[in-house]
Amino acid sequence: MTQKPAAFVAVILGCAVVLALAPLVLPPFYVRVGQLMLYSAGLAVAWTILGGFAGYASFGHAAFIGVGAFAAGLAEERLAGLPPALLLPIGMLVGGLACAILSAVVAYPILRLRGTFFAIAMLGVCHVCAELNNNIDALQGSLGLNFPAVAPAAWDPAVFFYELYLAAGVVVFLIAWQIQRSRFGAGLLSIREDEDTARMLGVPTERYKRIAFVASAVLTGLLGVIYAHSLGYITTDSVYRDDTNLSLIVYSLLGGMGTLFGPVIGAFTLVFITQVVLARLLDFHLFATGLLLVLLVLAAPGGVLGFVKSWRQRRRAAATAPAE
Amino acid sequence: MSAAPILRVEALSKRFRGLLAISDVSFAVEPGSITSVIGPNGAGKSTLFNLVTGYLAPTNGTVSFKERPITGLATNRIAELGVARAFQIARPFRDLSVAENVRIGALFGKAGARDVAATTANALALAGMAHLATEPASVLTVGQLRHLEVARAIATRADLLLADEPCAGLNPTETAAMIDVLRRIRASGVTVVLVEHDMPSVMEVSDRVLVLDAGRLIADGAPAEVSKNPQVIAAYLGTPD
Repeated sequence: MTQKPAAFVAVILGCAVVLALAPLVLPPFYVRVGQLMLYSAGLAVAWTILGGFAGYASFGHAAFIGVGAFAAGLAEERLAGLPPALLLPIGMLVGGLACAILSAVVAYPILRLRGTFFAIAMLGVCHVCAELNNNIDALQGSLGLNFPAVAPAAWDPAVFFYELYLAAGVVVFLIAWQIQRSRFGAGLLSIREDEDTARMLGVPTERYKRIAFVASAVLTGLLGVIYAHSLGYITTDSVYRDDTNLSLIVYSLLGGMGTLFGPVIGAFTLVFITQVVLARLLDFHLFATGLLLVLLVLAAPGGVLGFVKSWRQRRRAAATAPAE
Repeated sequence: MSAAPILRVEALSKRFRGLLAISDVSFAVEPGSITSVIGPNGAGKSTLFNLVTGYLAPTNGTVSFKERPITGLATNRIAELGVARAFQIARPFRDLSVAENVRIGALFGKAGARDVAATTANALALAGMAHLATEPASVLTVGQLRHLEVARAIATRADLLLADEPCAGLNPTETAAMIDVLRRIRASGVTVVLVEHDMPSVMEVSDRVLVLDAGRLIADGAPAEVSKNPQVIAAYLGTPD
């Protein structure tokens, strides 16, 4: 990485300020679309800390959205007397902690699996969590759980949650960026490339995978807590969603697997396509996501960023080739 | 033997179900030497390396590095102590450039203070790879990949390099270049243990030769001595009648 860290942070914060001002001019429908874009991008980047950087593609990260949301909701329900401004931070703390514990426990057996086996096992984790949540009465998964209105009275809740997603997304992005450029990030990269060789070179692969897993899970859980508040009322089905599990993989595939910007590009693009271009065909969007996935894997396995990179390499090669 | 051995293997055995791949092998390696492990295919040479680096756990026996037992330690812990390995079949990080490959070695490997950029540059130079630094690892030839394996291993600042057939499949010019690299590595203070098939290069470069046959150590000594040993000749060529 040749870029200067300070300049990079300045550019990211500059973009964030522009995005933060966007609701002033956007019609309400687009504020809602913007919410979903920022939420999805945040999730995609949290996912990529494990799936992209370390190559452990999870097919069950909705587990952490669900566990985070329900842990927060149940805690907030018991503290209902407190001011709403306090409830959201407490909910995030409890939700994040629950995800940390779950991921730390699950990490030991599940990170021994590689590739497809890991992905499928994570899908299993997601479904087990969803079933438990649904069937244990105390967890209120089937009954549903209300969340307090945390938006200040002066704010339009849609704009409030838009800004909240933006702030959370920027934090997740900067954390992922710091990870990527650190020694830890280099270790994750070597694990993705060849785990046995990485270990032979002294990379503490088991510990690194666990840390990446827990970090990814906690950040996903925190976004899940915000999501639950924006919905106001959740059941098991509204947070443990298989279309989320699928989308998180598609975002990285679409934008560029293993990169930092890829998941963001992928999430923005896919949400825009499904919510705006196909807005009148909402039931159609799972089909569209699947179709896009097939086309991508066939036409541009490196995603948008991979496509741009290979196009630039071809151009450079053409430019340096000797003229006949 | 003057200095304390850098590597000591005592009564080491490894059983894969019915097959005794390594059977009661003991030897010690002096610091600063080049030791070759030779033997027919299936003699247990690569298994021996797998046992020393912790990739496999021995059935019996101990391995000590700098007089410290390392049997049962995780592979990455053994690397942190200063043992590196270059694979016979090169395993580069294919999506990364040559320099990035070597940088991973410099970032990790032996524990302690490190100057990553300088270590990377040093290792590239030592292995004769500096001119290829920015090339993607995926475009290298077989010979260049072997040099990359060695460069990445050396970048860990290891004190002991285990090189698994670094000359296999190389032409005579490439073999000579690799031998030269191994000599330079030894001169930089690293002890080298080689597994090698190419007898002329073994005879030329080694201070000492260990011969394995069917998992047993059948000879141990200077190259000239070992090559005259009737047991060794029998192991390679078979006995008359």
